[in-house]
Amino acid sequence: MKVVYAITERCINCHLCEVACTTEHSRTKNPVSAYHVEGQRFNWRESAPYPDPAEARDAGRPAPKSRCRVLQDGYRVISTMCRHCEVPSCVLACKNGSLYKDATGRVCVDEEKCVGCWMCIMACPYGVITRNVDRQNVPQVENNGINHHCDLCPDRNEPACVRVCPTRALVYEER
Amino acid sequence: MIRQCNTTAAPPADRDADRQDLGIQSLRSDQVFASMPQYLVERDASRCIRCLVCVRQCPYEATFYDAQTNEVTNRHQNCVMCRRCEAMCPTNCIQIRQFGSGFRANEHWKEKHIRGIYKQADTGGVLLTGSGNDQYYNTYFDRMVIDASQVTNPSIDPLREPMELRTFIGRKPERYDPAKGGNGQAKEYPNIACDLPIIFAPMSFGSISYNLQHGLAIAAGKLGTYFNTGEGGLHPNFHQYSKRAIVQVASGRFGVSAEYLRSAAAAEIKIGQGAKPGIGGHLPGEKVTAEISRTRMIPEGSDAISPAPQHDIYSIEDLRLLIYAIKEATEYTIPVSVKIAAVHNVAAIASGIVRAGADIVVVDGFRGGTGAAPAIIRDHVGIPVEVALAAVDQRLRDEGIRHCASIIGAGGFRSSADIVKAIALGADAVYIGTAVLLSVGCTLCQQCHRGKCSWGITTNRADLLPRLPADVAAERVMNLLHAWSHEIKEMLGLMGLNSLESLRGNRLKLRAVGMTDEEARILGIKHAGEA
Repeated sequence: MKVVYAITERCINCHLCEVACTTEHSRTKNPVSAYHVEGQRFNWRESAPYPDPAEARDAGRPAPKSRCRVLQDGYRVISTMCRHCEVPSCVLACKNGSLYKDATGRVCVDEEKCVGCWMCIMACPYGVITRNVDRQNVPQVENNGINHHCDLCPDRNEPACVRVCPTRALVYEER
Repeated sequence: MIRQCNTTAAPPADRDADRQDLGIQSLRSDQVFASMPQYLVERDASRCIRCLVCVRQCPYEATFYDAQTNEVTNRHQNCVMCRRCEAMCPTNCIQIRQFGSGFRANEHWKEKHIRGIYKQADTGGVLLTGSGNDQYYNTYFDRMVIDASQVTNPSIDPLREPMELRTFIGRKPERYDPAKGGNGQAKEYPNIACDLPIIFAPMSFGSISYNLQHGLAIAAGKLGTYFNTGEGGLHPNFHQYSKRAIVQVASGRFGVSAEYLRSAAAAEIKIGQGAKPGIGGHLPGEKVTAEISRTRMIPEGSDAISPAPQHDIYSIEDLRLLIYAIKEATEYTIPVSVKIAAVHNVAAIASGIVRAGADIVVVDGFRGGTGAAPAIIRDHVGIPVEVALAAVDQRLRDEGIRHCASIIGAGGFRSSADIVKAIALGADAVYIGTAVLLSVGCTLCQQCHRGKCSWGITTNRADLLPRLPADVAAERVMNLLHAWSHEIKEMLGLMGLNSLESLRGNRLKLRAVGMTDEEARILGIKHAGEA
């Protein structure tokens, strides 16, 4: 199946993939709104009230979050995101079946089901799963948050990060 | 909370580092220049999303993130207006403009002069710069217009009829000899075949990035033209493209070996460069990385300084020795070119070069670019390529030796029309350098000599290199030349010509607009309105 691959020699450490991912997973699909208006980020406009993160979450308007992350070690830079493995350790580790592989081969999460036990985070060999604390299915547990990983932009033909990368360091292809 | 800024750039090591840490930018006795910013970076705060793309992209340390105020701000005095941040900003919230106050209006003491003096008083050094002459001088291309066919002679539609742009560069036989057959000339004198009259100008690996030279090599192969190694030698990885390389032998002799010459399509002896006639090349030590030191065969980090003259060439006779040494080394299989800067006596010099046995004469005008040159020389030495081409072509024709060498014009061709005009003035082909750089993102900020080009063009720093991948460069350059060759075909068609050969030296196709009689006479063209 097609997955996003990163070519480390081409990465220029601009982090535009993260901006694109955040924007793509926002409601407005506009970077300014995605960062400023939606959710809690920051808002310096005095006319507008400063939104509290918890309020935003309770109102069902959590801030969009990037699903990829640029890592750097000296001059080596790489954008990391879910590999959608053939045999995904996260799916095997998931205790209640909220992670699954869909018909196209994508690793998906059932957002209603996930309890935020983070076994997937422990199991992932690439360290590309994070937790989305804006979505807490078990609010009794402090800092509970559900599985958060690359969904390959289901609304697009080509993931947003690939589209925006200025040096074509991200490619969406079958290997 | 926003992530802390995490750039790869080293902290500023220059001598005002302490001051920058302090964050106070006011006047200090040894830093007058720095205390008067030239550009102002404006950020629309309501659109800035603090993604810090601009902070990571700026190699001049002009942009930084202040975590306390959660604001992205600038050290305006470091900005060189390369516009990388503007181009990369995902919300288009950045604008760079001239720093408002400027200097008090003065027609004699321009800002450039004042700043130059401040900077030299600060540092005591020669002001270096990159790119080409940006001063106000007449550009004769802008005062020449092209003829077109009307009722009495039909124009040609290049979409329906074949149009020949292929150019053979090298010495031609004196006359066609049927006994030798059609291909006789190729056997007699080596020529290089160029599918379009545009060749990439000499830009060494070192002055430009590894990736860009790689891209040019790929593009040259696909377009059927040639790239020029400049004086920096040919990197071992590019030997596969050597049949598309014109290799340069400059005064520093960097990377020159018998194998280097034999593998190439043509060899070029560089006597002078349009941007800095009469002085040698200078690749600053900070640009000499491991790969460059390997290619140039010099120690890493040392300045690569080419002497001003070639120390074995003090006369036309000496030049002849070197030309024939190269011809012997390559067994007369490749043409030998001699590149000179356009100077006052260019026609006579070119005549001597042709008589010395050169197959190609390259005339580099004063608008030609450079990776590093003293600004004072770049801006004040040399003559325009238009007049140089006209003078050289006329002189060689008058002396009956025009067929002995091809003429290549170089220096400041901005569009296909400039190229058509240059060919009508007598050039066989042209070198384009600055246009190539522009096509891959250059914004002419003239910081080439600093080795930290934010577009990844004139740098080999590991973190900046990936900004211009070779395949992207090749693709963009190919697009440009593709477009230009279409335009040249259109222009040939409207003149009623179906081959570039028919335009070469055909000055009747040009007319002067707003030139003095003297200028028109030197260019050998009539004024508009004359039949």
